[in-house]
Amino acid sequence: MSLPRTTTDDLALAERLRAGDETAFMMLVDELGPSMRRVARMYVSTDAVADEVVQEAWLGVVKGLGGFEGRSTLRTWIFRILVNTAKTRGQRERRSVPFSSLAGDDLDSPSFDPAMFVSSGDSEGAWSTLPFDWRGMPEERAEATETLHVVEGAIATLPPMQAEVIRLRDVLGWSSEEVRNALDISETNQRVLLHRARAKVRGALERYYRGESEGMP
Amino acid sequence: MSVEASISCREVVELLSDYLDGALPEPERVRVDEHVAGCDGCTLVLDELRETIRLTGMLTVEHLNDAQRATLLDAFRDWKTG
Repeated sequence: MSLPRTTTDDLALAERLRAGDETAFMMLVDELGPSMRRVARMYVSTDAVADEVVQEAWLGVVKGLGGFEGRSTLRTWIFRILVNTAKTRGQRERRSVPFSSLAGDDLDSPSFDPAMFVSSGDSEGAWSTLPFDWRGMPEERAEATETLHVVEGAIATLPPMQAEVIRLRDVLGWSSEEVRNALDISETNQRVLLHRARAKVRGALERYYRGESEGMP
Repeated sequence: MSVEASISCREVVELLSDYLDGALPEPERVRVDEHVAGCDGCTLVLDELRETIRLTGMLTVEHLNDAQRATLLDAFRDWKTG
């Protein structure tokens, strides 16, 4: 997890980039590279075009560094250039991507199966079946590579925008403000996407642990 | 606590992610707090969600491969030398 940087750090980093500092450049490439590729890919048709978009965006970044004033974090600013570049390229490809295909079409539906709750009467909306309790899993089990693969696999199957929000927030430790600015989404959407993503990863862990406790592979 | 201020488990679980982020407005946060304090099912989901976030935070941060890094570094050098 990378640490949130201060404005002073970001301005210094921007200055190093402007001066052509390759170490500073590669530090940012390593931190942001995979996310930038995936985000570019949301708006364009192929991996190859996404790579071109990322390169074009970096060029825009180094050329535009004079305009970075530290009002957002540097990484957010870089992502905005990326998203704009990707959207422009997507339009040129005549590829229109509806938000729902990126965000998932399940944002308005409940994240827990309605059948788990009492459907009528005085206790309407209370639990009728409790979710499987996988708390108290020994730490070495929980943190085992296999368990982390379950988490990773669950994230990989999420709609792209849900996957990116949970990666930026919970893997890389970005703030909600950074994520919504970086991905050009509203605060409400950021929260809903994150909630959906976390609920699905929790669900995947539940299935994994329950399967194991029932002796299934 | 008045009746109309209480919320059901089905509603609470949809608020837990925001609750953990400290992103709920105060009155809602208090209602979730009060509900969870007396509800085993919602306490369970809250604990599991917290653990889910912790485990997600343990994933390895991926990197680009060498070829991809080299391409970007070349582009950066090109820009530098104008």
